[in-house]
Amino acid sequence: MAASPLPPPDPRFVLRGTQSAVHALHFFGGAKGQGQPLLLSGSLSGLVHIWSLQTRRAVATLDGHRGQCVTWLHSLPQGHQLLSQGRDLKLCLWDLAEGRNAVVDSMRLESMGFCRSTVLARGQRHWMLAMPGRGSDEVQILEMPSKTSVCTLKPEADAKPGMPMCLELWQAESSPRPLLLAGYEDGSVALWDVSERKVCSRVACHTEPVMGFDFDSQKARGVSGSAEKALAVWSLDEQQALQVCKTHELTNPGIADVKIRPDRKILATAGWDHRVRVFHWRTMKPLAVLSFHSATVHCVAFAANGLLAAGSGDQRISIWSLYPISSDSSTPLSGHVEDTEDGQELLMHRAEARTSRKK
Amino acid sequence: MAVFDTPEEAFGVLRPVCVQLTKTQTVENVERLQAQLRAVSDSALQELQQYVLFPLRFTLKTPAPKRERLVQSVVECLTFVLSSTCVKEQELLRELFSELSACLYSPGSQKPAAVSEELKLAVIRGLSTLMHSAYGDIILAFYEPSILPRLGFAVSLLLDLAEREKSKQIKIAALKCLQVLLFQCDCQDHPRSLDELEQKQLGDLFACFLPGISMALTRVITGDFKQGHGIVTSSLKIFYETVSFIMADEQLERIPQVQPKPAVEHRVAELVVHREAKWVKNTSDKLTLLIKKIIECVSVHPHWKVRLALIELVEALLLKCSQSLVGSAGPLLKALVGLVNDESPEVQAQCNRVLRRFADQKVVVGNRAFADILSENLHSLATSLPRLMNSQDDQGKFSTLSELLGYLKLLGPKVNFVLNSAAHLQRLSKALVQVLELDVTDIKIVEARRWHSDQLSASPETAAGQPWSQMQKRYFRFFTDERLFLLLQQVCRLLGFYGDLYLLVDHFMELYHESVVYRKQAAMILNELVAGAAGLEVENLHEKHIKTSPDELREIVTSILEEYTSQENWHLITCIESEEAGEELTVKQSGLRAITSGAHTCQVPSFPAFSKPSATICSMNGNIWQICIQLEGIGRFACALGKDFRLLLMSALYPVLEKAGDQTLLISQAATSAMMDICRACGYDSLRHLINQNSDYLVNGISLNLRHLSLHPHTPKVLEVMLWNSDASLLPLVADVVQDVLTTLDQFYDKRATSFVSVLHALLAALEEQSDPPKGGERDTGPDVEPPLPVQVQIAADVMERCIHLLSDKHLKIRLKVLDVLDLCVVVLQSHKNQLLPLAHRAWPPLVHRLTNDDPLAVLRAFKVLQTLGGKCGDFLRSRFCKDVLPKLAGSLVTQAPVSARAGPVYSHTLAFKLQLAVLQGLGPLCERLDLGEGDLNRVADACLIYLSAKQPVKLQEAARRVFLHLMKVDPDSTWFLLNELYCPEQFTPPHPSLHPVQLRGTTGQGNPYAANVLRLLQELQ
Repeated sequence: MAASPLPPPDPRFVLRGTQSAVHALHFFGGAKGQGQPLLLSGSLSGLVHIWSLQTRRAVATLDGHRGQCVTWLHSLPQGHQLLSQGRDLKLCLWDLAEGRNAVVDSMRLESMGFCRSTVLARGQRHWMLAMPGRGSDEVQILEMPSKTSVCTLKPEADAKPGMPMCLELWQAESSPRPLLLAGYEDGSVALWDVSERKVCSRVACHTEPVMGFDFDSQKARGVSGSAEKALAVWSLDEQQALQVCKTHELTNPGIADVKIRPDRKILATAGWDHRVRVFHWRTMKPLAVLSFHSATVHCVAFAANGLLAAGSGDQRISIWSLYPISSDSSTPLSGHVEDTEDGQELLMHRAEARTSRKK
Repeated sequence: MAVFDTPEEAFGVLRPVCVQLTKTQTVENVERLQAQLRAVSDSALQELQQYVLFPLRFTLKTPAPKRERLVQSVVECLTFVLSSTCVKEQELLRELFSELSACLYSPGSQKPAAVSEELKLAVIRGLSTLMHSAYGDIILAFYEPSILPRLGFAVSLLLDLAEREKSKQIKIAALKCLQVLLFQCDCQDHPRSLDELEQKQLGDLFACFLPGISMALTRVITGDFKQGHGIVTSSLKIFYETVSFIMADEQLERIPQVQPKPAVEHRVAELVVHREAKWVKNTSDKLTLLIKKIIECVSVHPHWKVRLALIELVEALLLKCSQSLVGSAGPLLKALVGLVNDESPEVQAQCNRVLRRFADQKVVVGNRAFADILSENLHSLATSLPRLMNSQDDQGKFSTLSELLGYLKLLGPKVNFVLNSAAHLQRLSKALVQVLELDVTDIKIVEARRWHSDQLSASPETAAGQPWSQMQKRYFRFFTDERLFLLLQQVCRLLGFYGDLYLLVDHFMELYHESVVYRKQAAMILNELVAGAAGLEVENLHEKHIKTSPDELREIVTSILEEYTSQENWHLITCIESEEAGEELTVKQSGLRAITSGAHTCQVPSFPAFSKPSATICSMNGNIWQICIQLEGIGRFACALGKDFRLLLMSALYPVLEKAGDQTLLISQAATSAMMDICRACGYDSLRHLINQNSDYLVNGISLNLRHLSLHPHTPKVLEVMLWNSDASLLPLVADVVQDVLTTLDQFYDKRATSFVSVLHALLAALEEQSDPPKGGERDTGPDVEPPLPVQVQIAADVMERCIHLLSDKHLKIRLKVLDVLDLCVVVLQSHKNQLLPLAHRAWPPLVHRLTNDDPLAVLRAFKVLQTLGGKCGDFLRSRFCKDVLPKLAGSLVTQAPVSARAGPVYSHTLAFKLQLAVLQGLGPLCERLDLGEGDLNRVADACLIYLSAKQPVKLQEAARRVFLHLMKVDPDSTWFLLNELYCPEQFTPPHPSLHPVQLRGTTGQGNPYAANVLRLLQELQ
């Protein structure tokens, strides 16, 4: 990489103005035909900024967490509704339709931890929410919007995985049963069958707490990062057993967030070393190291159109356009990626793309 | 009025004179008759019409040779009778017509008889009056085939008179009469309009005169310009009235193919024309020749009324004879469009009216044939355009381009037929590009420099009104007439308005890429195309034409903008000096001298006055224009898009601001004016407002470009211009980018210090302005954590850190600037001693060096820094100053004093003098500021005293006096004493005899060199 004659890639642009470290990012809208997506950012100072990617400016600011860090943002599939989780132990539901920005509902969280919640759509207006529960090792499952508690997932007494650090609700295509993946303080990842309230499988991926993971339900494969110097790739077999496929050594320890792009071709990690790293998802080949930030990168997010956003302690959000996602989803974009030996070629592809656009 | 109202009375009076006239035909008798006629009422005369006419006609018919004078008076009298009466009988009308015509008959000749002009005039008037006196039905009956020979004679007679007579009066009268004969008289006496049948009857009859009339009139029309415009305009009018009547499509389409047998004798029947297709074709061909001849001559006629009449001709013929005269349509349209830019506003207005009428009635667009002809015309014009642009003079180019403009106006949306032909688009664009070539040999363009780097002077208000009124003056290689440029601008705008914008933009973009030879012109054209597409200053004749949609326009503008501001088209070499070449400093210093002479721009002496500018200068000039044109384009695009342009600011504002900070005056001006266009278009009320509101876009560009400084060496300039032209509200954003700047500076100390130091200067100046620091980020701080420093204090501390390194830079210019920045840092940090003192401590050694061992300019500025520092951390500074600096300065003052005392007038140009002066100027205020102790003050005083000597150069004396004025403020008593020791102007008498008399050391002698200065100072003390 260092020998590359090309300049390191630059962000497409940078969003400034949060005036506080950025801890959560989420793209909102922007599906096919809906025009430019909006980007939501949650900051240490408790504000949520809504950014227009067309004007590259904040169009609105949501203040609902009494100055406490916003750790998680998620939009609900139906309507213009947004969930935000803050260190003030509150989960707020916002109505953003037609320029509104009001809290329509809120819930109290029982746990003070770092764990971000997760939701799973269950039909038109219903969705399931998983969030850290009252007991430090518990996960609470609720039916929403009625807030009916479904169950509490508590590890068996002898397991002692510590606090849940990150959660993801999902559901296999073949079965309607909701499943929950949870990364724990002890570095393990567990698969819960929510209906049965039991752990299907658990695997130790890291020796440090899992800081973030993302799961590709189609390939039944996930990737996780932790405070240590490695990424772990694990998979789920038909018997719903988790197993570590491989680990990928990093130069610097500490991954705060991991996201796989919606087209499942590449993934990005948010590094404590101020860098964003991009990997080929199938092969885990490193493609690029994006260095721009001057503080810890706390979060990364991908938009449906492929844009990558990274939020950092330096109060900036960098927006990167690494590969345009081809509009025809059937063409294997990996055609580019798979041929690349390393990041250098990725850069060359970018440079070519730029020049060819000009002609 | 009339005396005799009844026929009886009248008869009684008239009879004797009529009898008398019949008997003796003399002028006197005719006059007598005429005199009596005046006393007879019209009604009475009508009754006696035949009776009175008899002697007159008898006189005319008498075969004996007559005197012209008699004939003339008879004709005049006859005319008088006819003007008061009506002719009610067909026979009488015919006879009188023949008798009057015969007066000008010369036997055996086609030409009118050689008679006096008065007689000719009388006959013409007589004929005219006769035709007016004929009763309505009578007159129509008059025009039957049997009259053809007689009518023909009269017509040819009149044409001959109109053509050959010398007298203008006769010519006009003859033409007027011809109009009457041809039923074209527009007086009130013929209000009746003709029905279809009557029209056809007359048309058939007149058709046989058409060749004669048209040819004779053509000769008149194309005759000498000096013959007077009235004759030409009347002739033109008769020409087109006649032609459009006989050749009217409406009539012709009703003519049967087979001629009905005429009911007249054979001789006459031969004269009657049957207007069938073949005849029409033949006649049309011949007319086309005449029409071409007429247009060729008249379109350049010096009198505007004639050109106005030409437009009427075109209108009449194209409207009424579009089929019969289709062969003439080309020249006719050409004539019309050629007048679209006529110098006369009346002609222009009329021309535009007709064009609009044609467009409204779809004369061209709705008529395949015309549209084809027009396209054909435009084709052939496009083909010859490059040649014409090459060979014609300004006037010729003007009319050619006017013609082009007219075609475009008339064709409107159909212009795409022509543009779609690659060959023709090629021709058209080649011609435009060729004629728009700039003259880039002017050296001044490269030399004109901008010296005030801070504020961009101009707000949209100052340049209100016409957005482009203050466009930069350009010089073109192939023309000088400014109107030509406006014309070309209009041509491009119309192309943009009606043409396929994608096609045109693609085409000219290709030319832009193709060669540097075309690039400037292509950009100019692209700018106008976009302005035209938005309908800016475009006169639209085609109401239904749909403009390019805003979204499409934005897309197109975005792509052009991207091209304009791309590295290879935006960062062109425009001057010789550059930081990379390391020549900047030498040139700038020569420039410093020029500033003192008061000029904003100056001749950079590195260019000798070449007799022929070198290729490099030409290419730099070209590059400057290239950039200016592109900047102008950005302004145009903003005007074209209006508020929509706001979305493009994220990519457009940065490059424009970069050029606003350019050293080349022209570029900076163009950029400023582009920004004003942007302000107007996007609704910002000033440049400052524009920059403030979009600083996030700028900061984004700056911070990303700083990452690749070698690729974007102008980045610091952009930040600098932004800082000078924005206000404190930007601080949080700026703070974000300052770290990037400082980090980059740390990497490039050696190479780009100049530009960075300029940025730091701008930055600190902005920080200093901000009096009230914003409180931010305090929410997270617990009780045990110190509150974070205000942003500007952090920045100032970081900057001051860098200044310490740069204080010893090898370039004076940088050292000077750094001293300024340092001064500002101290001001900003004044209330934060914890930050300031350690930094001041570290800055001390290089600062001492500046004071004691540097250029006088640096010494002065270093003193200023010390003063500022003295106000903030006096104690800290006092001891160090007295220990490290004062001894050296005092020492050098003392050792230099004898030198300067002896020196001649040239001394004031030496470095030594300037140093002395700087130290003397700096010491006074500093001593006061630092509140020095007695010992140190004495030291200063001792060193300066010698300079109070009248032997010293005047300037040094002045400076020394000022030192003492400051010292007086600190310690007046000891200063008084000291001065008196030097020169004591008065004797001190003790107030009481018991006291000892005081004797101070200062001598009172006349020869004391200190007398004058000490006296002045002592006066101040009292």
